[in-house]
Amino acid sequence: MRIEFDWSVLWRPPFDELIVSGILTTIKLSLIAWVFALIIGTLVGVARGSPYRIVRFLASAHVEIFRNIPLLVQLFFAYYVLPRLLPMDMRRELFNFGWEFGSAVLTLSLYTSAKVAEHVRAGAIAVDQKIKSSALSTGLTWTQAHVYVITPLILRIITPSLTSEFVTVFKSSSIALAVGVAETSFLTQQLGYQTFHWVEANALGTAVYLTCAGLVAGLMSIIERNTRVPGLLRRGATD
Amino acid sequence: MSLVFDNLGGLITALLWVNVRMTLTAVIVGFPIACLFAVGRLSRNPLIYYAVTVYVNVLRSSPLLMILFWAYYTGPMVTGHSTSAYMAAVIALTAFEVAYFTEIVRAGLQAVASRQRRAGLATGLSVTQVYVFIILPQAVRKMVPSLLTQSIIAFQDSTIASIISVPDIVQVTTIINAREQRPIELYFALAIIFFIICYCLSRLVDYLEARQSRRILGVSKTT
Repeated sequence: MRIEFDWSVLWRPPFDELIVSGILTTIKLSLIAWVFALIIGTLVGVARGSPYRIVRFLASAHVEIFRNIPLLVQLFFAYYVLPRLLPMDMRRELFNFGWEFGSAVLTLSLYTSAKVAEHVRAGAIAVDQKIKSSALSTGLTWTQAHVYVITPLILRIITPSLTSEFVTVFKSSSIALAVGVAETSFLTQQLGYQTFHWVEANALGTAVYLTCAGLVAGLMSIIERNTRVPGLLRRGATD
Repeated sequence: MSLVFDNLGGLITALLWVNVRMTLTAVIVGFPIACLFAVGRLSRNPLIYYAVTVYVNVLRSSPLLMILFWAYYTGPMVTGHSTSAYMAAVIALTAFEVAYFTEIVRAGLQAVASRQRRAGLATGLSVTQVYVFIILPQAVRKMVPSLLTQSIIAFQDSTIASIISVPDIVQVTTIINAREQRPIELYFALAIIFFIICYCLSRLVDYLEARQSRRILGVSKTT
């Protein structure tokens, strides 16, 4: 069977504008979700080492719940179930506001925050115990020591593992098509259904995600180079 | 609540017959391929090395959904006969997991000390024999927790097949919800079913990891 290629479908109207808006939606969705995931994940990860048992328990519960339920199930839960818990007029408001996008941001940030929290906890173990003791001995409280000394160190140590989570956010954002967010994978499917040029459509979609992954990896390697903790890697290698 | 119990049989059947079967197929078919690919990742032959490396990096940077689209929508154009949605999902999940398993196996192979390989070669075994009888058995033992973690992720990812209408547990829930209009109970049940299974499996991973680090410590103490 011979396949006829027609790559021009990608830049002929009406698809050219759809493609651009889809790519921008993917980027917007992923970046917003990543910022929330980083903030929530760092807080939860640090809280897992809290001196209070109840805080530790809540932080672990957060990680276990969001890590052990598939993203798609969480998304459907956020999209179909959460609005039902609101009164009718607020629910309508929520959907007018664009709950498709909102629920995708919510689930994507919570799901990723659980993974970030796991990396933060691993980083907390990697921070030298002496640094913690010294920070506390200067008179800082536990919270101050973690805000000013330990958490910045943790984030610098775990930058390489955060890179892969950052890439994963872009990949996972493709799930948003299931609730009708018009992002890259959604427009890929639309393009395919309407033109039957599936090879071109899939190639475009895949290229978008690969480009995003490449850009993120490049950006993170620059950050990694500039925030590397001096001496830490060498000491790790000789241990 | 009774709605959930009335439909529980259907949900569990879909879970076992689609999600679990799909995951097991992907793991069982994917693991041997990943072992071959991992050896390719360590190969000195540039052709093999680059081919495998490109495969691994491209698949790991694409969303599973895109791979699913390739298998489901373009697969039939290339092969000339139609692929069922389930088959496409199995192929996509397997191809995807092979990339992740390859990296786990490669790390496992590299973690086996090179003196094991040299000692094996010195006894007169061929390179293949050394890999199959000496390095792989030791490496697999070290890789089990990571492989299991990746399999849990594969199990969670199998729900993505519902997007191309494979009748998996998520799709069945959506169908029941379309009939009954009771999303709160149904999606709660769905989340709890996955939580219980994945939580127990990740506890098992923790147990295996703890046992392994104990064994390594124990060995280093006696020698």
